[in-house]
Amino acid sequence: MPPRHSKWPRTILLAGIALLLVSLVVAAVLASVLTRGKQEMGPRRLKWKDKGTTRNLREVILGRCYSYVAARDKDCLKIWESLKQAFIYKNPCNITPEDYQPLMELASHPIPCNKSLFWSKTNDLVHRYTKSNHNFLTLEDTLLGYMADRVSWCGDPSAPGINYESCPKRTECESNPISVFWKMASKMFAEAACGVVQVMLNGSIEAGAFRSSSIFGSIEISNLNPDKVSAVQIWLMHDIGGPQSESCSGHSIKRLKGILEERNFKFNCEENHRPVQLLQCVNNPDHADCRLCSSKMETP
Amino acid sequence: IMNIFFLSLSFVSLLFMTSLSEGQEKKWKGEGTTPNLENIVIGRCYEYTRIVNPSVGEKNCSELWEAFKNAFINKDPCSILPTDYELFINLSLHTIPPNKSLFWENNQLLVNSFSGRTRRYTALGDTLIGFFADLLNWCGQAGSPGLDYDSCPTTEECENNAVESFWRMASITYAQHSSGVIHVLLNGSAEGGAYPVKGFFADYEIPNLQKDKISKIVIWVVDDIDGPDRDSCGTHTVKILENRLKTLGYEVTCTDNYKPVMFLLCLDHPDHSNCAFSSSAPAAQRGPISSDREGSWNKLIFVTFVGFLSRSALVY
Repeated sequence: MPPRHSKWPRTILLAGIALLLVSLVVAAVLASVLTRGKQEMGPRRLKWKDKGTTRNLREVILGRCYSYVAARDKDCLKIWESLKQAFIYKNPCNITPEDYQPLMELASHPIPCNKSLFWSKTNDLVHRYTKSNHNFLTLEDTLLGYMADRVSWCGDPSAPGINYESCPKRTECESNPISVFWKMASKMFAEAACGVVQVMLNGSIEAGAFRSSSIFGSIEISNLNPDKVSAVQIWLMHDIGGPQSESCSGHSIKRLKGILEERNFKFNCEENHRPVQLLQCVNNPDHADCRLCSSKMETP
Repeated sequence: IMNIFFLSLSFVSLLFMTSLSEGQEKKWKGEGTTPNLENIVIGRCYEYTRIVNPSVGEKNCSELWEAFKNAFINKDPCSILPTDYELFINLSLHTIPPNKSLFWENNQLLVNSFSGRTRRYTALGDTLIGFFADLLNWCGQAGSPGLDYDSCPTTEECENNAVESFWRMASITYAQHSSGVIHVLLNGSAEGGAYPVKGFFADYEIPNLQKDKISKIVIWVVDDIDGPDRDSCGTHTVKILENRLKTLGYEVTCTDNYKPVMFLLCLDHPDHSNCAFSSSAPAAQRGPISSDREGSWNKLIFVTFVGFLSRSALVY
């Protein structure tokens, strides 16, 4: 009976294929479940919104420390170790000033009087200025600031203890390694200042040249020592061709004056301090505000 | 007896002093190798690739240090040739953007400020090769520790020293990889002329410029603010340079006292007459203001307005 014979193998074939398909599906499901499970069981590094620790941080920090001319008597390896200990293997939202105390002590150095230059909202301009004029020092020109400028770091409880993928933004948590570092370093920089101190502020921003919420307003002013600092000199800079949102008799400057005079600091304000304005003119040589009356006019 | 005592004392101290000075007598006339050289250059290498100019990609900075070091370590410090740095150069090479090359003579710190760390221009010191070694010093010696930290030969003592050969090789390479509009900043107050006829630019850079990649050469001659006007476009050594480049077939322009650079020089001489601003802005806008002036805000606005009017009147 030929028909019956052909029917049986076909059924078996169909059943076999069905079984194969089912087992494939089951295997796939099992595999995905298992691997997901593996991921969950492995070390979970915390994920943040800002960029992670700078790669080769150790080499960069050491190189900067050894290059810093005045650091000839500093133990750069010890300094690096104390920085690392401040954040490695720690939850980056739990950093305290005490974590940085050993580093601060190792890396601090005295600052000559009348040379401290504070700043707010003038990052680019103030550092171009101190690069060309070594008569003034910002925090970023001291050893601590020089080492930490433009790099970032944060730890993680899981190995290797340093998070190169991401680090917390200030909005995610305030007690993160970078914010705490700069707060402490700013405090120390203010405490070390003596004589006449300078402050470069931005008179072209709408929100006002002086803000109590800035590091300058919230940390540095209150840590200036009235026994060491005699006067505070403000350099209020306007962008070349930019808005003159505030002048020396402006609202926030008046408030700053009040705060400083209350603590017995002499106060003075100067708009567009000439040497700094000259620096601004490098980028705007043809602007009307940058016209020189010298006879040495450009002759092509 | 006292005489004998003093005599012997002075004799002993004399001996002591001569032995001291003999110990201080250095082998060479130049400064020794910069302390912690390895840490500094490796740090700079990562600083450059991670922070200053990450577009060059990842470099193995330890490998770079080894290649650099092997050019001169344990060798006679007067036997180093530019080609000894070939491996180092190959490892640290990267492209220089067109129109950004800035050559110079007799104004290194000024160029450093003006180039803005690649923001405005990419001078040799803004490439990885230059950034790596800028303002450092090094030389080797036969025998341990291989580096001489005490003293190094100057170029007058011997030409084929480690530092000279490095910068010759670096200059050659920099010139070979420059393209587009080329800029040269010269010091119009320099003794001997703005364009040293024998110098890095003349001997190692100009001969290695790639003519087919270069559109134009722009020369800037800037005098020191307080300095003499020894050289200018079209005169003395600058004329020699212009002629040389034109003969080689380049399109050449030359400008005296290029303004942006002058502003930079004025930073150190803000009160110099050459640095005075011509704007007749009212005193209320410039100069110190102690905020004791109450109610002068309206007056300020009026004066500024009048000043602006008169300035625009002058212009027209």
